[in-house]
Amino acid sequence: MTAMNQPKTTNEFAQKDARQTPREALDHWYLEPDAALRARVSNLKFWYGNGTQAIDDVSFPLVEKKVTALIGPSGCGKSTLLRCFNRMHDLYHGVKYSGSIELFPENENLIDLDPNVVRMRVGMVFQKPNPFPKSIYENVVAGLRIRGISKRSQLDEIAETSLTQAAIWDEVKDRLHQPALSLSGGQQQRLCIARALAVQPEILLLDEPTSALDPIATAKVEDLINDLDGKVTVLIVTHNMQQAARISHYAAYMYLGKLVEYNETSEMFTRPMCQRTEDYITGRFG
Amino acid sequence: MSTKHDGHLHHISQQFNSELSQLKAEFLKMGGMVESQVQHAMQALENNDYELAEQTRLKDKEVDRMERAIDEEANRVIVKRQPTASDLRLVMSVVKMVADLERIGDEAKKIAKFAISISESETGALGSRYDSVVEAKHISNHVVAMVRDALDAFARFDTAQALRIMKEDKLVDQEYKSAIRSLVTFMMEDPRSISTCLSIMWVLRSLERVGDHACNIAEYVIYMVEGEDVRHRPIDHAEKVVRP
Amino acid sequence: MQSIADNVGGAISYASLARKNRSKDIAIASLGIFVLFIAIATLLALFIDLAITGYPRLADPEFYTSFPSRKPLQAGILSAWVGTIMVMVVTACLSVPLGVAAGLYLEEYASKNWFTDLIEINVSNLAGVPSIVYGLLALGLFIYTFGMSETVLVAGMVLALLILPIIIVSTRESIRSIPSELREAAYGLGATQWQTMALYIVPAAKPGIITGAIVGLSRAIGETAPIITIGALSFIAFLPESPISSDAPFINFGWLTSPFTVMPIQMFSWLSRPQADFHISAAAAGVVLIVMTLMMNALAIYIRYRARSR
Repeated sequence: MTAMNQPKTTNEFAQKDARQTPREALDHWYLEPDAALRARVSNLKFWYGNGTQAIDDVSFPLVEKKVTALIGPSGCGKSTLLRCFNRMHDLYHGVKYSGSIELFPENENLIDLDPNVVRMRVGMVFQKPNPFPKSIYENVVAGLRIRGISKRSQLDEIAETSLTQAAIWDEVKDRLHQPALSLSGGQQQRLCIARALAVQPEILLLDEPTSALDPIATAKVEDLINDLDGKVTVLIVTHNMQQAARISHYAAYMYLGKLVEYNETSEMFTRPMCQRTEDYITGRFG
Repeated sequence: MSTKHDGHLHHISQQFNSELSQLKAEFLKMGGMVESQVQHAMQALENNDYELAEQTRLKDKEVDRMERAIDEEANRVIVKRQPTASDLRLVMSVVKMVADLERIGDEAKKIAKFAISISESETGALGSRYDSVVEAKHISNHVVAMVRDALDAFARFDTAQALRIMKEDKLVDQEYKSAIRSLVTFMMEDPRSISTCLSIMWVLRSLERVGDHACNIAEYVIYMVEGEDVRHRPIDHAEKVVRP
Repeated sequence: MQSIADNVGGAISYASLARKNRSKDIAIASLGIFVLFIAIATLLALFIDLAITGYPRLADPEFYTSFPSRKPLQAGILSAWVGTIMVMVVTACLSVPLGVAAGLYLEEYASKNWFTDLIEINVSNLAGVPSIVYGLLALGLFIYTFGMSETVLVAGMVLALLILPIIIVSTRESIRSIPSELREAAYGLGATQWQTMALYIVPAAKPGIITGAIVGLSRAIGETAPIITIGALSFIAFLPESPISSDAPFINFGWLTSPFTVMPIQMFSWLSRPQADFHISAAAAGVVLIVMTLMMNALAIYIRYRARSR
């Protein structure tokens, strides 16, 4: 941890040296000096049930209370990597992991934990808004009910805070008991974010949360993610590079199951360290 | 990481490629215009050519028009393509370098104006005037070459050349100082030449500014290629950045 | 360059092409309506014929409240419809929980291997086994092997077996139709498999499951063969014990073990008599049976509609 958590660079030109020659991949990362780690992925490999390897030796840090974006072309394994974080793959038969996703400060390997425990601790929002076919209120408190909390006053309070945090409280406060499916797509997605936030996840995973939304709804969700910066550790997969540039603090570029570059987002989008990252983000890919 | 000089021709979108090429070509065209503007202004001064001076002065309108056109083109590229990384640096550098080119054009216009006013004045003592113009001519050759080299460095993404230009700027400063000194000597020798020499001093000042702008362009070329901002820092910083 | 319109349009314009294509649509639609009309007309003719034939008995309120009798004009269907309802209650109580549980297990819990594939194929095949075979099974297993007698319970059990495959298959289908996003949403919140099932999957699949159950029960209500095979009586002049008694514990299960008859058997026995008046009673009973089945189907539609509009 100390090796990686060292200041971004002590010698101003050390960093420049790294940039001098285009590289295939990086073996170390530059982090801000005060960055604390929430998790660290080390040499993670993943195989699907049919034997295809979707993730090959990926290592990168997840900085506490910051938004980290996973970018890369379709099929590069970024969604697969995201789903490793809450062990969603374990729902399907025959998957295999190797390597570790260490959680800090507990120093636990997420891969060795009970998937149910992991999912209690790591929340997820999906590509398509997927509220339960129940009322708005029941959707927000669903995670609490699953955890056996049923005291009405407590549920009410948490429902209000998380709906407010998800910037949808004003829109739904008068219709909490109407069906969630009566909301618009963008509202449904923010409701899903509220549902994930209600259980105060240690890490929040977002899997292309705006790809099914129109530009206005997208802007609202992006605003909400910006608000989460500094409050929640967020890992987001996005196809939209401008979106990654807008909302994330750190970014990881993946290609063919491998991590090519992990960098501060502003660095990656103005002067990426690897030629392949440059080619991808400037649209020279292929 | 260095960017290859034809990097902007390898996007998936051919339209994007041609937009960037267009931007680059327009910029180089404008560069050629101001380069010849400075040359012509100096020629007019040297040959006491009123016609050429007047032409050069009017040419500035054309340069201003090109500045607006290039800025608009750059805006369009940003809006349509949201360029990132080396593309972003290319577009941003062009926008900034265009301002420098426009200022070079302004300096040429100033020189042309002095050429006009000197040609109209009867008091100019031919001897000292010839000597002082020779001083200016020397510096002007130097800075025009710098402008040309800077444009060249931009066209070829040649950071080594850009670094050379940054170093040349020091020489221009020295030449400027020595030229001022000899003008002061002329003025002391022949007080009748004072007004002409003062005009030539302003011309020297303009030429020195042209050299500074060429140096700025060279700095942007380094930024564009290497992604490292070398402005307002000691020259050895730039040297480390450009190191082959 | 020659345009596609020119290519096609040598002989025919787009307008006439569209007209030609549309006339095909109309032909198919007309054929469909014709076939549908034949099916409905046949059913309607049957029903109307039964209703007209049975009208004298249908209009007589005593028909519904009398026991069977040797005299055609006094014979009623009381014991038959009470028996049918009781057998249906037993069938529903046995087949729905068993079928739903089996469907849930096969769809969600069972690992996918050759053994579950085999079970799956067999369950689908069982839905197509003739009902008389179930009757023979019940006769051999329940009556001869276990020594049970021909009671409401045994009839309920055999009909439950008969419709179990239908309920299992429809349960699996309706669970499978729940989008996987819903499942992942629940798991993503940290729900266990049981919580996911009980709180989210089954409620969402409920309309489909209930519809499947009712479709199964409306098949069971008209079944005659298995019940005759186990030896149900056709002439019952008494009702089973009432399930609710006036003294503690207020509920009694004596009715389960009493002999019974059901509507189809009553009809069958009337039809096999020579007197024409009994045939009128049989027709009337047929109308009542059809109405009972239609009511169950209407209930299924209502439940589905309500679930959808919610």
